[in-house]
Amino acid sequence: MTRLTRKLALCFVCAAAVAALTAGCGSKPASEGGATSAPSIPVTRGGELLASIRTDPQTFNRYTQRDSSTLLVATLTQAPLVRLNRVTQEIEPWLAEKWSVSDHGQTFTLTLRRDVVFSDGHPFTADDVLFSFAAAYDDRTGGPLTDALKVAGKKLEVKATDPHTVVIRFPVPFAPGLRILDNLPILPRHTLEAAFNAGTFAKAWSTSTPPADLAGLGPFVLAEYTSGQRLVFTRNPRYFRRAPDGGPLPYLDRVTLDIIPDASAELLRLESGQLDSLTSEISSEAYAPIKRAADAGTVKLLDLGVSYNADALWFNLKPGALGNDPRAAWLQRDELRRAISMAVDRKVYADTVFLGAGVPVYGPETPANTEWFWNGPVTPYDPAGAKLFLTELGLEDRNHDGILEDKSGRPARFTVLTQKGRPNLERGAKVISDELKKVGLQVDVVTLDAGAIYAAVISAHYDAVFFNTDKTDSDPAINPDYWLSSGSAHFWNLEQKTPATEWERQLDALMAKQSASADHAERKRLYDEMQKIFAQHLPMLYFAAPRIYVAHSTRMTNLTPSVWRPQLLWSPDTIAVTSTARKN
Amino acid sequence: MTKYLARRLAFAVFLVIAVSSASLVLARLAPGDFVTASQGGQMSREAMERARAQYGLNKSLGAQYVDWIVAAAHLDFGQSLLYDRPVRDLIPERAANTAILALTAIVLATLVGLPLGVISGSRRGGAVVGAIRSASLVLLSMPPLLTSLFLVFLAARSGWLPVAGMRSAQLPAGGALLDLIRHLVVPAAAIGLPLAAMLERVQAQAMREVVDQPFVLATLARGVPRARVVWRDALKPALRPVASVYGLIIGTLLSGSFAVEVITAWPGLGNLMLNALRARDVYLVAGCAGAGAMFLAIGTLVSDLALGLVDPRGRA
Repeated sequence: MTRLTRKLALCFVCAAAVAALTAGCGSKPASEGGATSAPSIPVTRGGELLASIRTDPQTFNRYTQRDSSTLLVATLTQAPLVRLNRVTQEIEPWLAEKWSVSDHGQTFTLTLRRDVVFSDGHPFTADDVLFSFAAAYDDRTGGPLTDALKVAGKKLEVKATDPHTVVIRFPVPFAPGLRILDNLPILPRHTLEAAFNAGTFAKAWSTSTPPADLAGLGPFVLAEYTSGQRLVFTRNPRYFRRAPDGGPLPYLDRVTLDIIPDASAELLRLESGQLDSLTSEISSEAYAPIKRAADAGTVKLLDLGVSYNADALWFNLKPGALGNDPRAAWLQRDELRRAISMAVDRKVYADTVFLGAGVPVYGPETPANTEWFWNGPVTPYDPAGAKLFLTELGLEDRNHDGILEDKSGRPARFTVLTQKGRPNLERGAKVISDELKKVGLQVDVVTLDAGAIYAAVISAHYDAVFFNTDKTDSDPAINPDYWLSSGSAHFWNLEQKTPATEWERQLDALMAKQSASADHAERKRLYDEMQKIFAQHLPMLYFAAPRIYVAHSTRMTNLTPSVWRPQLLWSPDTIAVTSTARKN
Repeated sequence: MTKYLARRLAFAVFLVIAVSSASLVLARLAPGDFVTASQGGQMSREAMERARAQYGLNKSLGAQYVDWIVAAAHLDFGQSLLYDRPVRDLIPERAANTAILALTAIVLATLVGLPLGVISGSRRGGAVVGAIRSASLVLLSMPPLLTSLFLVFLAARSGWLPVAGMRSAQLPAGGALLDLIRHLVVPAAAIGLPLAAMLERVQAQAMREVVDQPFVLATLARGVPRARVVWRDALKPALRPVASVYGLIIGTLLSGSFAVEVITAWPGLGNLMLNALRARDVYLVAGCAGAGAMFLAIGTLVSDLALGLVDPRGRA
């Protein structure tokens, strides 16, 4: 069976399972969570995978931080109740072997696997699930999971009816259902309860914790951590999943993550055979040398398709945020954003920023998200049309210096904040600035670190921001904070008490409906409607999304690459390596 | 001598306090903080405020500084927000790695730069002198950042040496020391070669001045072999100006090593400071800056003592 047909078959199985689920009374059989589908080529057991990360993990406690290194450690060492398959975008049974849905889709009864023990030998039960929810929801934990696990701002009700059955009730009907639990690794109550009761859970499992004190349900256990150098993981002999041949998983004996802060050194190590894999995609600039190495047969280069995410430009739309600034008359108007959307040649943007490896994007969903992408009319590249919109705003070149002025003669000029040290953002801001100059708008690009940009956005002290606002899931209902006017990721006007505009009120209502609907077609119709309203008002402007390329050594086999990060390592238990030696 | 040492030690303490205080204040004054840097866009404002209170970032700058300086007086430099570990524990392990790299680089620079400087300064021309001067000029014009990129590229292409890191994931044949030495070659050369070029230039200039001195000419006139005169009689007076630039070199060494550490994934203070700055970890930034200042103070003290050894007139 080829990889493609295997994926299609898996898609079909998952689609059938979801169809049963959305019918409201489906019962998920034990299947994918316990055993993997058969690999198309024989898999070698054992061996070591050497990958790189850019920074040390901030903690070994996933509940308190969300940096990519911490997430990867959790992927290797912990396990959730259900897993989101990054390739099919469907949920799979994991620690929960099956579930049933009742109460009009609001209540899920999960049956936990009985043969599961933590890496320290302690049995896994419903108590660990209850403890994990309690820890995630505790205000003292102070991490990103606390808000991410809420639906409509409320916690899920979780109770155990017996040691292997958990009942989860959502506060409102929630279409993605258990998908939200992919974020939640189940932690061992027996090792962390004391810290939780003492109010020190947020400090538990810091990076100074001896590896022997950590316990997990994931395929690997942390064996060694040397700050600034590497993390070494060895296979968890008690891991619950089995291979198709009935043998134990994971296939690998050992995973080592070397900490390499510099992208150039990381790529050179991969090219020279001193590394098997990077944990994220390769940059546009790195494509050419990696392609040469791939052509020479020293690495494998994979084109995973278009990213689900695109960088965005947005203006400060908080009413009154500009105070007495006379630019408020035009800086917060829809016409300005429409003019900008028409003035920027997206083809030029994609060619310049992604060196040709990008596609034009017009809204928050890229063509990669085939399930939710709205195929509406696109904004044409039309500088003349853009100038008409600017004229409507009273911006004209009154002194014929090439820069537009308002009615009082003040130049049409604004500042765009973007993140320093991110070539795509810096190049993108330059392209936008150059394109807008052609229609007479003067843009000052200021580069800051990410923390400073968020501080400006939170305090609403900025004109415009060009930044990455990456989604973590393809389902829009999992990203409510972006769409809801009260959301913490509704960047153009954060956390409004009541919607500032009529169209935001409409978006709120549509979001609530589509998030609650059990009918997928109806959800799609509602989400299309939301994207249409978004396109009319353009609170955030998107220009292009990159193609995602990843590279790995020729030793790595049995991969299931996903366009989502970490593209190659999201399913670490089924990765294998050949017996070919790697250079040291 | 004791008074001199006490004075220098007091200055070192003052330097460390001043640099780390300034770093903490500047890191705190910059817009944004650890919470916005690590959780921005993922948390509600209310949750961020709770996190800020948890980390003590909701205090005024004055209150935060006073708390920190009082604790620092008891050698508690705060808890790293980024790694959730005491700064006091994080700094020494990374500082030791930086010290290994810096010492190796300075030894390499000395072993390469001084002899070449003696050779090029004691001869009147020729192919060897020309080659040394040309190599020095090239190395001097290249910042350590570029040198390290070039050497990393060379190591990757040739496969002779590890490209990055400090130790191999699995101990190779030859043992830990050999493994460390193999990993040291690229970063130490990246820092050490430009310094060697600088030493070569200074040493050559000093040597040229000394070999024209009457006592050298007189010794040569007595028939003592030229090599013996150069390496025995002329070298010691020619070392004085070189010893005086070691203080400057130590300053360059530290700033240069920070960039090289990032390129070559050397787990030293430079990497730690970069991560701390990116994450807005004010206590770790202050700790790293203080450790850097301490390096500088110790380095200049050692350099002054070395200068005193070769030129007793400098002792005051």
